[in-house]
Amino acid sequence: MVSRSDPLSHLVEPMIEVRGLRKTYPGGVEAVKGIDFEVDTGEVFGLLGPNGAGKSTTIGMLTTTIAPTGGSARLAGFDVATEPIAARAVSSVVFQDAVVDRGLTGRRNLDIHARLWGVDPATAKVRIAEVVDSVGLTELIDRPVGSYSGGQRRRLEIGRALVSRPRVLFLDEPTVGLDPRIRYELLDVIKELRERSEMTIMLTTHYLDEAERLCDRVAIVHAGRIVALDTPEALLATLGREIVEVRMHDHPEAALASFRSKGIAGDDAFSVGSTVTIPWHDGSASQAVSVIGEIGLPTAAISTRRPTLDDVYLRLTGDRLAA
Amino acid sequence: MTTITTTVPAPTRLGPPPARVKPLSAFATLSRRRFALSASTPRELLVPLLTPILFAVVIAPALAKMVGIGNGLDYKTYVAVGTVGLLVPLSCMFAGLGVIVDRDSGARRELLAAPIPRPLLVFGNLSVALVVSALQLVALMVSAILRGASFDVSTSGIAWFVAAALAFAVFSYGLAETLANRIPKQEEYIGAVPAFAILPWFLAGSLFPIKALPAGLAVFAKLLPLTHALAVMRYALVDPHGTGLHDIWGMSNPTAMAAMSLAVVAAYAVVLTMVAIKAFNRVAVQ
Repeated sequence: MVSRSDPLSHLVEPMIEVRGLRKTYPGGVEAVKGIDFEVDTGEVFGLLGPNGAGKSTTIGMLTTTIAPTGGSARLAGFDVATEPIAARAVSSVVFQDAVVDRGLTGRRNLDIHARLWGVDPATAKVRIAEVVDSVGLTELIDRPVGSYSGGQRRRLEIGRALVSRPRVLFLDEPTVGLDPRIRYELLDVIKELRERSEMTIMLTTHYLDEAERLCDRVAIVHAGRIVALDTPEALLATLGREIVEVRMHDHPEAALASFRSKGIAGDDAFSVGSTVTIPWHDGSASQAVSVIGEIGLPTAAISTRRPTLDDVYLRLTGDRLAA
Repeated sequence: MTTITTTVPAPTRLGPPPARVKPLSAFATLSRRRFALSASTPRELLVPLLTPILFAVVIAPALAKMVGIGNGLDYKTYVAVGTVGLLVPLSCMFAGLGVIVDRDSGARRELLAAPIPRPLLVFGNLSVALVVSALQLVALMVSAILRGASFDVSTSGIAWFVAAALAFAVFSYGLAETLANRIPKQEEYIGAVPAFAILPWFLAGSLFPIKALPAGLAVFAKLLPLTHALAVMRYALVDPHGTGLHDIWGMSNPTAMAAMSLAVVAAYAVVLTMVAIKAFNRVAVQ
């Protein structure tokens, strides 16, 4: 991976470069409102946000299936608007829904991808064998895809995307709709891919653990805008070591003001619904609980936990990520 | 004063340029894919054959006992050629269903993400629709011959027939692809099949000459590509005097009239193919 702190990094184009990218659909719906980011070679970059935040539209623009209405984007230096075929040649995508030929065998699906991405037949045969083995589909690969389970189909789609050895791999909500066991299996496959290759991976997700577990950096997307972009650790560090959640019977805003006036909560504390969330930067959380108890406000419950990206999202947008 | 200059390299593209896929190779891959999908659903190949074969081997011979078409033409043979005008549109409309399946639950988005010119996706489907139509057409003609139809076969006649059938099939597939991309639901598409594949057949001189139609409908029939295609096909195999062509053009040189009718069908084919590609691009890229 080209380090962002490398003094020569400005001499090499980022693998993905997005500048002021914008999409307004006919009818006036602004799905993406001018976003900027760069992704370096070998980096795993996550777009984290709820459904409707603009993540899939962004992937659609980068894979040239959605035409941007403003800004620019480049993959490996190729402009997606003016050099779309070259941009597609360096990338592969795993879609949110199943996008396969169910009437064909898994092998045939992989072979079609290889041919369309310019892999010669002999090389394709070798790569398909490797990929099938790595995604654990050896027993199934010559069966029609219509007979696969959801998890098997998704593994086939990941394998298919790898057959052409793309420089950029897009994973659009790769685990959505899968049961937990298969989801974790797939996360392992992606993690292994990350560790074994120099491939640049961009994934969208609304699962916090996926972003934390897989991504080098995360862009939090809300209503078509990037509201925060950093490493998961740095984003979490903005909320201190622990989170204190105080559920109030009523008047949470007044309670928040009271906590602030007594120096218990800082500017990064916030309230949503009946809950006041206080990032706790210094000292232990048990201290926080006792200090809050001493104030004598009518609290319904007090709890402490480690901060999550959901808290970061909540603080930035006032909404929760998880459905 | 000493000036120190340094050259800052321009940003470079990452890695070598990607391999370019040859359009012909991509087209072959797409055609093979579509053929494999069609072969996996045999009903797509067989169902369009049923009605035309029924007409050619049962209804036409029965009607031939009741009616005469005049000009020394055998009605069985006359209708056998006419059923081509039913078979080809039905076959192509069924091929259009594959476009909807690709879009709704197939691999269309994967294909759109491929580094190939996107009109190749339309041409790949078209090529298989043409092959399937040709196979069905052979089956239809063999059935008609076995039931007693008699064709006047010559090399030039076969060339006229193939050219007219090919142009008409391209037109029919263009229409099917356009409809498949513009109609949102499979049910609605199936509902549109009679209007686009069957209704023109009754007006285009398939079962009787267009001069038997009321004057207004006869004018309308002359605008249909199917009328021109059938007139050329009959000129090729059944009607060397070009009676059907004369009904359209009112001229006396059958070869000239056949050439003009073929040009009309070819023009329809080119226009509908362009419309189909535009409709595909509009749906494919939001």
